[in-house]
Amino acid sequence: MAVKKMGLKQKYAHLTRGLDWETSYQKMDDVFPYDQFEGIKITDWSKWEDPFRLTMDSYWKFQAEKERKLYAVIDAFAQNNGQLNVSDARYINVLKLFLTGVSPLEYQAHRGFAFTGRHMRGVGPRIAAQMQSLDELRHFQTQAHTISHYNKFFDGIAEFQHMHDRVWYLSVPKSFFDDARASGPFEFMIAIGFAFEYVLTNLLFVPFMSGAAYNGDMSTVTFGFSAQSDESRHMTLGIEVIKFLLEQHPDNLPIVQKWVDKWFWRGFKVLGLVAMMMDYMLPKKVMSWKEAWEIYFTEAGGSLFTDLERYGLKVPKYADVATEMAEHISHQNWAVFYQYTHAAAFHTWTPDKEHLDWLSEKYPNTFDKYYRPRWEMWAKMDEEGKRFYNMALPQLCQTCQIPMAYTEPGDPTQISFRCTEWNGEMYHFCSDGCKDIFDDEPEKYAQSWLPVHQIFQGNCGGPTVPDVLNWYRLNAGADNMDYVGSPDEQIWNSWKGKAPAEAAE
Amino acid sequence: MTYTLTIEPLGEEIEVEEGQTVLDAALRAGIYLPHACGHGLCGTCKVDVLDGEVDHGDASPFALMDFERDEGKTLACECRLQSDVTIEADIDEDEDARRIKVKDFDCEVAEITNLTHDVKGITFKINGDTIDFQAGQYVNVTLPGVDGTRAFSIANPPSENDKIELQVRLVKGGKGTTYIHENLKLGDKIKISGPYGRFITRKSRGGAKLFLAGGTGVSSPRSMILELLGEGYSEPITLIHGVRTRNDLYGFDEFTALASKHPNFTYIPALSDADGDGEWSGSKGFVHDAAKEHFGGIFAGQTAYLCGPPPMIDACITALMRGRLFERDIFTEKFLTQNDAAQTKSPLFKRI
Repeated sequence: MAVKKMGLKQKYAHLTRGLDWETSYQKMDDVFPYDQFEGIKITDWSKWEDPFRLTMDSYWKFQAEKERKLYAVIDAFAQNNGQLNVSDARYINVLKLFLTGVSPLEYQAHRGFAFTGRHMRGVGPRIAAQMQSLDELRHFQTQAHTISHYNKFFDGIAEFQHMHDRVWYLSVPKSFFDDARASGPFEFMIAIGFAFEYVLTNLLFVPFMSGAAYNGDMSTVTFGFSAQSDESRHMTLGIEVIKFLLEQHPDNLPIVQKWVDKWFWRGFKVLGLVAMMMDYMLPKKVMSWKEAWEIYFTEAGGSLFTDLERYGLKVPKYADVATEMAEHISHQNWAVFYQYTHAAAFHTWTPDKEHLDWLSEKYPNTFDKYYRPRWEMWAKMDEEGKRFYNMALPQLCQTCQIPMAYTEPGDPTQISFRCTEWNGEMYHFCSDGCKDIFDDEPEKYAQSWLPVHQIFQGNCGGPTVPDVLNWYRLNAGADNMDYVGSPDEQIWNSWKGKAPAEAAE
Repeated sequence: MTYTLTIEPLGEEIEVEEGQTVLDAALRAGIYLPHACGHGLCGTCKVDVLDGEVDHGDASPFALMDFERDEGKTLACECRLQSDVTIEADIDEDEDARRIKVKDFDCEVAEITNLTHDVKGITFKINGDTIDFQAGQYVNVTLPGVDGTRAFSIANPPSENDKIELQVRLVKGGKGTTYIHENLKLGDKIKISGPYGRFITRKSRGGAKLFLAGGTGVSSPRSMILELLGEGYSEPITLIHGVRTRNDLYGFDEFTALASKHPNFTYIPALSDADGDGEWSGSKGFVHDAAKEHFGGIFAGQTAYLCGPPPMIDACITALMRGRLFERDIFTEKFLTQNDAAQTKSPLFKRI
């Protein structure tokens, strides 16, 4: 009798299942101590459907070829002095923000998925999490290697890892991931696997990668492609996780809903950095943040949450507030960095007329009314030799750690403040979303490492700005301040001024 | 110019236009292939080319590696056919689906009944042949003077293989159904091809079966239920048939008789507009309302078969999932139109 050919699913099951055993020397609950305290109930791990079917053997084969291709492009980029072909040296500040703010999150994701994989009782998700852990390590390495070429010529890149742990605004992405990694394994999977890798990932990667493509940075585009071919696995894992949890037990729904609400809001606040990058930092614009939000959240997320509604899961709480904020967040963020340029590890600038006109066109409801006049005023002050610096340390939101510069929903002229008293102390928040997260777990967020508080407590190198910058390993006068007058501008102008003459010889 | 694409492990054959991608052709034919980005970057839609020549299109070198190209892989979302091609995709083989070759049948109209004021039952006698099909499948009917073919589910059980019974509601402005209602007469010779479709009884599963039907959507469930009962299936079978008013209800006597003969069969007709119908003592509301009421909102343990207009199917899926019956236990009769394929769709569900 001819043996019937096995389907891919069956083959994969034979290769990956049945390798597990019930422990006998130790209790299973001791071996897997973290998969119950969150309240998630799993009745049947075998119902887990592998979101992708890849064996370790072919995994290495794939990743090896991706690496070969990427490093060939990076080498060619370096040999051809690819840095000369970017649109403008202002663009390099996008890479500084990415390397200091995003790449270390890849490393955090590597650690988080390794931990989560170890602590999932079911073998299916354990394997998927293991591969994602390895992917994230690769992403971190390839990003560091790609951007290291720019480090030969531009400031603000060399100390990225150190800065990630110390610099005030980098505590925003860092604390986001610290929060996820300090959660239980199921919350981590919803936080990073679902909310971040699925719902919000296109708002992070697409803007950076198409920004790179529009601005002539082919090495970054290539690591983008290389990473995106892994992302599909990550996205399908995120989708499987949420389905699995919702189908396993009805008691999981309120817990998952709480996590989706929380991590949507946390992610939205972190993405404010991307919003500012898209609207203010790219010399050649791709699209506005508001347009990106409409395509990638309102439309794509809308169809996702319509389907999730069948499980009883609702659109994340405050999604409407986030959508309203899409009109404001980039302008408010860039204004913060402009005022604190002396303490930032990248350069800032006021938008020129063409740029202001683009913003007016992209934000017809808000820009001319609330933001354009401020940029024009600051530009005028600068011309008059009165460049505005804000020398007071800002109050930070206890949850998202962003300076309290955001405005009230429905009133962009009023700063939004919320507070909660807990254990005799007053805690401050930028929004209802952030306050809700604190109120649900105050004992966790009361411990937040807030950069401004730490400075005042004397934990950041000293009481003066130079002391703190020194502690950040921020090279004052080169890494910080406006682009105009920076060493970055100088080297760029020297290249652009001399290059044609030399070529003519 | 078209090529034939065979999709394994289903064994399904579909036609692909020159320049059309494999993914597009498959989705339009109602065959779900796993996919995500849709433009050659992510690699989710990777398939094996078992036979024939393909063009990889703009597949990214990171999503489709050189060694994979050598091994005969391609990305369905970018792949265009250069010849007739056989692919193997990462889709579940369906152990209940038989591979029945589609055939053309010369038929003759043998009987026309008025089932309601706007639904006719048509019985076609097959001349010199019999039809092999699975209960739940459909046929394509070619009508004189009507462009293209029209799809209708087969209402008779497979054991009655010398005829094809269809239940056809008059669709306002619909050329096919208007022809059937106004022009078709006894003795007419009509070409019918079939069987088509993957909406079939999952016999390998056993257990309780729940049929949710709206309007003429009851034709497939009728075939399936008659077959099951004829084979002596002893697990619970429930049919909930929703229509608007009593004037729209048909099959009542037949199903009521079956229910009294077979204690494992429950028949629940439901009227969505029973206001002013003092004599109606049965279920009131939509199909999903009647289902929730009958099962107390808990559907776990059933296998559900849904057949009817899209809003009814949509409401039923939500009711079933809220009652803890999920995608793996829900089967729907669904035709993807050009519009459906173009819609922004989340990848949460594959079939439903």
